[in-house]
Amino acid sequence: METIVEQLTKYVVKANENKQALCIRGGGSKDFYGNPKGLHDSKLETGPYRGIVDYDPTELVVSARAGTPLNELESLLSEHGQMLAFEPPDFNGTATLGGCIASGLSGPRRAYTGAARDFVLGIKLLDGQGRILNFGGRVMKNVAGYDVSRLMTGAMGTLGVLLEVSLKVLPKPESERTLCFELPVEQALETMRRCAGKTLPVSASCHIDRRLYIRLSGIESAIDAAHVKLGGDEFGDSLSFWESIKNQTHPFFRGNKRLWRLSLKPTAPPFSITGEQAIEWGGALRWFAAAKDYDATAVRAQTEKAGGHATLFRGKDPNIPVFHPLPPDLLKIHQRLKRQFDPAGIFNPQRLFPEF
Amino acid sequence: MQTRLDEQFQNTPQGREAETILRSCVHCGFCLATCPTYQLSGNELDSPRGRIYLIKQLLEGQEVTRKTQLHLDRCLTCRACESTCPSGVEYARLLDIGRNEVEQTIKRSPIDRMLRFALRKVLPNRSLFAFVLKSARLSRPLLPERLQRMVPAQPKIRQNPPQANHPRRMLVLQGCVQPALNPDINHAAERVLDKLGIALVDAQQAGCCGALAYHLDAQPEGLDAMRRLIDAWWPYIANPDKLIEAIVVTASGCGVMVKDYGRLLKHDSAYAEKAARVSELAKDIGEIVAAERPELTRLLENCPAPEAEAIAFHAPCTLQHGQRLDGVIESILQTAGFRLTRVGDTHLCCGSAGAYSIVQPHIARQLRDNKIAALTRDDPAIVVTANIGCQMHLQSGTQLPVRHWIEILDQVLCGQTEDRFP
Amino acid sequence: MRHANLVEAFQNILPSESVLFEPEDLRPYECDGLSAYRQLPMIAVLPGNEAEVIEILKICEAEKIPVVARGAGTGLSGGALPHADGVLLSLAKLNEILEIDPVACTARVQPGVRNLAISEAAETYGLYYAPDPSSQIACTIGGNVAENSGGVHCLKYGLTVHNILKLRVLTIEGDVLEIGSEALDSSGFDLLALMTGSEGMLGIISEITVKLLPKPETARLVMAAFDDIEKAGAAVANIIRAGIVPAGLEMMDKMTIAAVEEFIHAGYDPDAEAILLCESDGSNEVVANEIEKIRDIMHESGAVRIDTAHSDAERQRFWAGRKAAFPAAGRVSPDYYCMDGTIPRKHLAEVLRRIEDLSLEFGLRCMNVFHAGDGNLHPLILYDANRSGELEKAEAFGARILEICIEAGGSLTGEHGVGIEKLNQMCLQFGDAERDLFHAVKAAFDPDSQLNPGKAIPSLRRCAEFGAMHVHRGEEKFPDLPRF
Repeated sequence: METIVEQLTKYVVKANENKQALCIRGGGSKDFYGNPKGLHDSKLETGPYRGIVDYDPTELVVSARAGTPLNELESLLSEHGQMLAFEPPDFNGTATLGGCIASGLSGPRRAYTGAARDFVLGIKLLDGQGRILNFGGRVMKNVAGYDVSRLMTGAMGTLGVLLEVSLKVLPKPESERTLCFELPVEQALETMRRCAGKTLPVSASCHIDRRLYIRLSGIESAIDAAHVKLGGDEFGDSLSFWESIKNQTHPFFRGNKRLWRLSLKPTAPPFSITGEQAIEWGGALRWFAAAKDYDATAVRAQTEKAGGHATLFRGKDPNIPVFHPLPPDLLKIHQRLKRQFDPAGIFNPQRLFPEF
Repeated sequence: MQTRLDEQFQNTPQGREAETILRSCVHCGFCLATCPTYQLSGNELDSPRGRIYLIKQLLEGQEVTRKTQLHLDRCLTCRACESTCPSGVEYARLLDIGRNEVEQTIKRSPIDRMLRFALRKVLPNRSLFAFVLKSARLSRPLLPERLQRMVPAQPKIRQNPPQANHPRRMLVLQGCVQPALNPDINHAAERVLDKLGIALVDAQQAGCCGALAYHLDAQPEGLDAMRRLIDAWWPYIANPDKLIEAIVVTASGCGVMVKDYGRLLKHDSAYAEKAARVSELAKDIGEIVAAERPELTRLLENCPAPEAEAIAFHAPCTLQHGQRLDGVIESILQTAGFRLTRVGDTHLCCGSAGAYSIVQPHIARQLRDNKIAALTRDDPAIVVTANIGCQMHLQSGTQLPVRHWIEILDQVLCGQTEDRFP
Repeated sequence: MRHANLVEAFQNILPSESVLFEPEDLRPYECDGLSAYRQLPMIAVLPGNEAEVIEILKICEAEKIPVVARGAGTGLSGGALPHADGVLLSLAKLNEILEIDPVACTARVQPGVRNLAISEAAETYGLYYAPDPSSQIACTIGGNVAENSGGVHCLKYGLTVHNILKLRVLTIEGDVLEIGSEALDSSGFDLLALMTGSEGMLGIISEITVKLLPKPETARLVMAAFDDIEKAGAAVANIIRAGIVPAGLEMMDKMTIAAVEEFIHAGYDPDAEAILLCESDGSNEVVANEIEKIRDIMHESGAVRIDTAHSDAERQRFWAGRKAAFPAAGRVSPDYYCMDGTIPRKHLAEVLRRIEDLSLEFGLRCMNVFHAGDGNLHPLILYDANRSGELEKAEAFGARILEICIEAGGSLTGEHGVGIEKLNQMCLQFGDAERDLFHAVKAAFDPDSQLNPGKAIPSLRRCAEFGAMHVHRGEEKFPDLPRF
């Protein structure tokens, strides 16, 4: 019987011959994300290729197939007191490991423990010519060859099909507590900044609806000490609050508005364009729900000035590319890399940039 | 590191010694980080590792030119690299061998030769140097401003030291340029040791320690000066009736040289033993005072605490890297109640380095200015050091007084409050 | 262009002392920290600013001349080994710290800035730069990025790739790329990760923005001595199993302890077969808690002596011993060959036993220093380059060690890079297709393969030749080693 990998390979080889576009899809939890143009191309479903390949808690490494549902992976880790420290969103609960790495999205803990790309140790990749390639490995440190594994993180599947991923995992904190402060945006940013310059056990921060939430993680005594230092009230429903931020089920994210994801220098001043905003990651991530007649060019210009980039995360606009356009010299490198990995341009065409 | 020494060096003592040193270097490059000249130039050739390579190339029989000599000349011999080297490479010794070899092969320009000759003849000659210095001081007002600053001012000479007669006796090195530039250093040492119950003895015939000539490409001349000094000291050392406990050196630059006599003269059968004994006896004034700490602490109880002015301490390379006496003097000063300011990059040379400031004025000035910036960052009232060369060199670049630390300890201990910090 | 014309072209844009072209001047540049490999470059240039670097690259591009970048030359894989027909581009003079932003906790620096100099400059603000390779006193941040350097604290704080935000990269084609951003991510592919560890083969880095961290409130170190290296290995696994991620977790074997003690007098147990250094840092509460747990685990794992550093000075001394371990080998042996394989930690005891066997087989001593926390082995093979045949023997020994690491599911290099020395083993770790893709990645940045050509990624032909040489004796190697 043909294995799943053989099937996937066959699809790719054929698509490569026929220059036929493929839409790589795991659980479909992020169908909304990226330029929508290719969503109706033929699907290359990675969901069936699932399962844990190797997990040894004392090595702090887990390897799993791309189609493994995130929640399955996370509950296995949880049984051993470990976690994916970048706290990836799984949105509607169908997210897979492959999509998680391909989108490169990280959750509330990102600013404090690292992003998806920081925990990627190795990958197995199916490239545009149907070759199966292994990069990186299952060890913490590996500088043999170029870091192709991390290059795949956030590439939105445009460079190849992820088959397997090895990730570094971390022990779960013993305890967590969320502090809550009623603060206007300027002061909230100021408090987030103060936390960044100190060794406090902060594991998440979010300013939303005029309230600043700070999550502390670690041993109880350290949390107590930090609580005394920071003040603020203990917020009761810590777990579901951070879930709602991570998976965007919080009322702020609901509705059909155009939701921008602004990634910028954490010390940038509050956004001055009219609209609602929520702040995460110690100020480095701002969610911006635009008012009806807003100027998208101004959003991008202001983000650029703040040392970052703006993504139209939800709510499409046919005239606006989802991801922040690249300067020409960088675009040139991107296009060349794309040609090397996927010469026929079959993988998720235009999902990332309209140019490829 | 692999070596393939040229035949002519394979069987000489220097060649063999050089090879052993070269072999101990593993080319890790840690020394680059603490080398003052590499910090300025960023050129491997101006780093210890680069110079080791240049010397290796020379000893392996490759053709070398004036350029190799230039890069070896640029070394301050501060030996910060030796403090940093985890492999224990005796860099300064290798450099001596390399410099000597280059000197045989490469002819210097007439001007260069004349300058070096003059320095070797004038500086170590106490009376000649005193005369030159006096003339310079007299003509100082006539000189352009930049040169004016290079001529050290006449220090104020205070009361003559007591003629002490303690059972504990130590020889003191007068040195060559120090008595003319600042006789008060040894006077202060004498007063402080007197309080501690130690008498200092001066050997009349004693002259320069030989460091100047030795490091100015005239190693035989330097060795001769060493032998002369040993001859002058020996009657005192060998006298069983009036035992000499130690040889006190108040300039760390001379101290490091005297401590090295034993090694440098070990192949000279007539002097090897005496030289070893002299090196054994040689002590920096800091070591002597530190050894008397209980008595010093007791004496200090009866002295008014020094004014709360902050002092910046500059540790001469010959003290911290050459003699490995890091922290000794700092701790004495703290015991005496002084507040030491924070100084960055303490391991870096000030650029004085014997005659270096004269033969390599450009680099020396940059290093001096960097050093002064590092020393004065915390706003000290005075800079103190432990070597006459550093003192003069630093003074030429700052309005702040630069003193020898024994002078300020003397002021606290012996209650000399007039002309506190001139 | 003829040599003389080329020299003249460089002299037109650089001060004359910054263009070296005679063997006498070039010799000290013939190798980096791996002095077993030596090659005189055609010309070495020492630019003082980015504009000069750009001009140099223009000339090299026009003449299609290879360019090899060099920082402090402390690399241990020959990554900065010059090219005989190429220009050696020293970036040591670009050593300015351009900006420290204490609020955003970032520093913008030139590539020639020393790793430790960043932390020294940031200290005023209570901040520091986390990756601390043992050569941090001397190695440059540009070289760190090129090699993706680690250090003794990378289990908790990550490698260079985790601690940089932004790069300015000059391509051989004359573009100036801004890669990464001051934000936590950027639009498009993660070129920042691709550049990090690319061994100077994709572009010339002219500016780096690094992340600074607040200095931990406190740090404490436990030194545990074991009479059996296997027990030490088990202690490492037990610490991780207990949910502790130590700031540093290092192992040294008996010979290393002896070599280091002579220089540093760190206070290690000279009778131990292995010692572990385990550091905890963070808030007072966390550290007190972790240190207690660590001591307990060490005890339960059979440590014969457990010391906790009583002062920061003592802690620094414990670390100083570890950081000086490589060069201290110079006290035991005239030459050493440092390996850099990584393995899954669980195979430690097995791999160390293999190394011991090989040591007997080759008749060369081997010291073992080990980043135990992240599975990075540094066997130091001691040899004497002046004895004919010994270097070759050491190389063969080293190659066998790397092969064992690869078979154990590890990698041939954890942090030193492939450079020139591990090219053959790259043929074992990667297949033709992967290597083919590596070459393709290089071509995307450097179409004519002018930047550090011949390093890091072996040519397909080289691997074919190596494969032919590398006879597997028709039997499975190390049959008692579990298959991975």
